[in-house]
Amino acid sequence: MSEEHAPRPEEDRREFAEETESLWRVTFAPALWALHFLACYGLVSLACARGLFPIGATRAGLVGLTLLVLAGIAWLGWRGFRQWDVHSTGRRANPGGHAEDRHQFLGHAAFLLAIISFIGVIFVSLPLIMLEGCR
Amino acid sequence: MTKEPSDTAPRGPFPPEEAMLAEPVPPELDAARTARLRAAWKAPTGWRYWSAVNNTEVGKWYSLTALFFMLCAGVMALIIRLQLAVPENELVSSDRFSQLFTLHGSAMMFLFAVPMFEAISILILPGMLGARDMPFPRLSAFGYWCFLIGGVFVIGSILFDAAPTSGWFMYPPLATQAEGPGSDIWLLGLSFIEVASIAAAVELIVGTLKCRPPGMRVNLMPLYAWYVMVVGGMILFAFPPLIAGDFLFELERSFDWPFFDPTRGGDPMLWQHLFWIFGHPEVYIIFLPSIAIAAMIIPTAARRPIVGYSWIVLSAVGTGFLSFGLWVHHMFTTGLPNISLGFFSAASEAVVIPTGVQLFAFLATLMAGRVKMSLPMLWIAGALAIFTTGGLTGLMLAIAPFDFQVHDTYFVVAHLHYTLFGGMIFPVMAGVYYFYPFIAKKLLSERLGRWAFWLIFTGFNVTFLPMHLTGLLGMPRRVYTYPTGLGWDGLNLVSSLAAFVIAAGFAVFVWDLVRPKGGQPLAPRNPWDAGTLEWTHDVPEETWGVRSIPHVTSRYPLWDDPALLARIDAGRYYLPDAETGRRETLITSVIDAEPMQIQRVTGPSWIPHVAAGFTGGAFIFPTFHLYWPAILCGICAVSAILWWLWRDTARPPAPEDEMRDAGLGLRLPTYAAGPSSAGWWAMWITMFGDATAFSSVIFGFFFYWTAQPDFPPPGAAHADGTGTALAALAFAAAWGLARAAQRLNRGGRREPARLALGAGAVAAAAGIGGLLLAVAPLSPSSHVYPAILCAIAVWIIAHAGLGIVMLLYCLAGSLAGKLTPRHDADLQNVMLFWHFLAASALVACAVLGLAPGLMTGGAP
Ligand code: HEM
Ligand SMILES: [Cu+2]
Repeated sequence: MSEEHAPRPEEDRREFAEETESLWRVTFAPALWALHFLACYGLVSLACARGLFPIGATRAGLVGLTLLVLAGIAWLGWRGFRQWDVHSTGRRANPGGHAEDRHQFLGHAAFLLAIISFIGVIFVSLPLIMLEGCR
Repeated sequence: MTKEPSDTAPRGPFPPEEAMLAEPVPPELDAARTARLRAAWKAPTGWRYWSAVNNTEVGKWYSLTALFFMLCAGVMALIIRLQLAVPENELVSSDRFSQLFTLHGSAMMFLFAVPMFEAISILILPGMLGARDMPFPRLSAFGYWCFLIGGVFVIGSILFDAAPTSGWFMYPPLATQAEGPGSDIWLLGLSFIEVASIAAAVELIVGTLKCRPPGMRVNLMPLYAWYVMVVGGMILFAFPPLIAGDFLFELERSFDWPFFDPTRGGDPMLWQHLFWIFGHPEVYIIFLPSIAIAAMIIPTAARRPIVGYSWIVLSAVGTGFLSFGLWVHHMFTTGLPNISLGFFSAASEAVVIPTGVQLFAFLATLMAGRVKMSLPMLWIAGALAIFTTGGLTGLMLAIAPFDFQVHDTYFVVAHLHYTLFGGMIFPVMAGVYYFYPFIAKKLLSERLGRWAFWLIFTGFNVTFLPMHLTGLLGMPRRVYTYPTGLGWDGLNLVSSLAAFVIAAGFAVFVWDLVRPKGGQPLAPRNPWDAGTLEWTHDVPEETWGVRSIPHVTSRYPLWDDPALLARIDAGRYYLPDAETGRRETLITSVIDAEPMQIQRVTGPSWIPHVAAGFTGGAFIFPTFHLYWPAILCGICAVSAILWWLWRDTARPPAPEDEMRDAGLGLRLPTYAAGPSSAGWWAMWITMFGDATAFSSVIFGFFFYWTAQPDFPPPGAAHADGTGTALAALAFAAAWGLARAAQRLNRGGRREPARLALGAGAVAAAAGIGGLLLAVAPLSPSSHVYPAILCAIAVWIIAHAGLGIVMLLYCLAGSLAGKLTPRHDADLQNVMLFWHFLAASALVACAVLGLAPGLMTGGAP
């Protein structure tokens, strides 16, 4: 990534281009959580209230989806962790004013959000495993 | 990278070098600059004072007004407690009592908690960011005047015995069938305030994104600014569903469209969903800003940087999004399937984790530092104690079976107030004591502050701790009186007496706040030895915000850069001058805060008052079923806003003014369009909120379909296919024409661009016609199916109307020379609106035209 540079036109567009990947990483984990949540709530409602598909199959399908989503979040977290790069730099907090600090901070952000989303997905899926049927 | 740098690209060195910063400014030059800057930012005097738009003035009025509404709601609580002090009391009637608790709850939540956050943020955020002001000062002023008008209207209703009576969440059918204008006052008055809240949230987010000091990259932002972004984002996603709910609700009350009436296919549960999709995040919208205040006070008290900055930021973000997955836990007793309840119960437990992380990071900071028990810290400590108790009872309530037991008893009232006092009142008080010297340049009294603390703290616990027991003994909430002999008498009396101790505490606090302080010495500039930029403020007060906008390289610049303060004062940094005599601030980039533009900031004006007054009329007249005056007010409001935008926003600068010196050798453009400009970001963020509201209406459609066996009812009339298809085509064409206009204008072909703009407006009008044709066969008051289709059409038609106005505005701009090939900010913003409009119009047409066919086919 670029270090200090002279002021340039369309700075915003360039910055976003430079960090596109880490920004996607930051937003993807919560987005996966939200989609998973909506899928659980929506499909169970459709199964129970509308009877569109059997609840047993719905639950099994959703458990499968949960595993996929968890794997996805874990991967995002791992990429974030690599970007944070705490092993080679030893810097946990990134309080500095350089482009490098910002880059590592965004990695750390992606990593932590992945953790939160991971836990969130697990919590939301527990009822799928522990409760049966529509009652 | 071979592109020639255009003549309006930023030029010069950045970041500034040490030698440049060290170079002194000649004293005469500095004096002249200071004088010019002071003149540009001078607050109006005399009666014109009220036309001020400075964040310092508007923020002060805003917070004092919110405080006033809080005190009104507090007085209502005292009357409630007086009534409940003894069994079978006759102080107020049952109807009055309903008005009191409804208005107490609504005012505390809508007129105090959320606006207070925005008010405080408007006051202190620019200071923290070393900005001169918020990016759109007149928008803050507009928001404030809307808030004042709406708040007085809602609170005032109790004086006329006309207040809403159905509880702060207005459940239908109780509220739809309530007599008198009470429910309408709630719906329209509060919608009006919600719109103002959203406006303020947009402004705060854009302020944080685009008005940071040069060098303040995202990883250096003060924690408060992070919380502003999170909470602003939550407001943007949480309020629109409520507004959508209000929209449907008011259509039912005014025109008898049966959205919540089960006899005609409606469903009261839809309101509950929409209300709580808003209502639970609301709890965090109230609670996170208080944590933000704590996050500023704690490092100062501990005299060290916060421990776990990233952890706190990310937990705040995490709490923000998880809190949207909790809403149904307010609906545990409504008979949803157990698994569904389980999802929400589980998510409610999960949200405790990020909340806990934030609290632990604070504790760790305190333990790692040398804590000074200042008055603000005392309030924070009280907050922690109370909030923890409230959190524990909350965990109990999140367990569905326990909730079945205590649902709607005083246990819930106790829990609610523990979280609200611990999560809001106490931290805000801490914030007031902490930031008061920044705001008023005087210190509050230490002695009175301790008195207020102990009175409120003891009073609070003695009032609300016994209520847990009253609730477990079975006393329901919202009853205006109760028989003796159920074991509730003594507990209630204690609660009532102690409520007056709380009131005494607030009286001491308010006295301290407003007592004349003329004889008192000025506060020291940095009384708490804090490290963040707001404490570079000027004592005695200067209205320019900051003498020169510093270059920042760390999270606590005042601690890390000993030369900073002197250099700011000496005008060594950016924008030390107001050469043109106009108000200006620096716009920087979103991620790295690189300087991009010198933006002109608007000054004092009466136009926000005019616009707010007419907007108020447009919302208030319908409460009394006076639709023509309301429509007239709406037209006047739109005209006032257009006038305001036309005169003072996005005007192309004179050619010699295109580039200006920003100081330290840097030359910056004074005009920006598209993503470089603050206005474009504001539009983008607003459209997110708008899209959320629209999605909520669409959610309503699918909700009816899942929840009802006969939706659409057999043999129902559907939307007219030809009209729907025509509308879809016309809106797509309008979008295409708008886009063509933007391209053509950019390319310097102004005549064809104008033609495209005009044609776009005509196409959009044709789209409106198509939609009218489509819904013509429907009679919305007969059943919820035609009603929701018509509601969707109304939504799109209103937006398309706005879209037409915008296109014509650009056309006029092009003809008048306000919009040129290079100065096309207006057109780019309008294009953004049209992207969203076209997408929602197509979704609407799909629902109108296609969904019925699919649904009647598939459903059993
Ligand atoms: C002087 C301090 C206060 C006292 C004595 C007090 C007292 C009460 C009482 C007794 C009720 C229950 C009324 C009923 O169910 O019959 C209540 C309801 C409520 N209070 Fe407070 N309160 C105080 C401060 C606050 C604050 C600061 C907030 C919010 C920031 C708040 C928010 C609410 C809400 C949302 C309700 C529910 C209203 C409803 O049932 O619709 N209160 N309060
Ligand atoms: Cu909740």
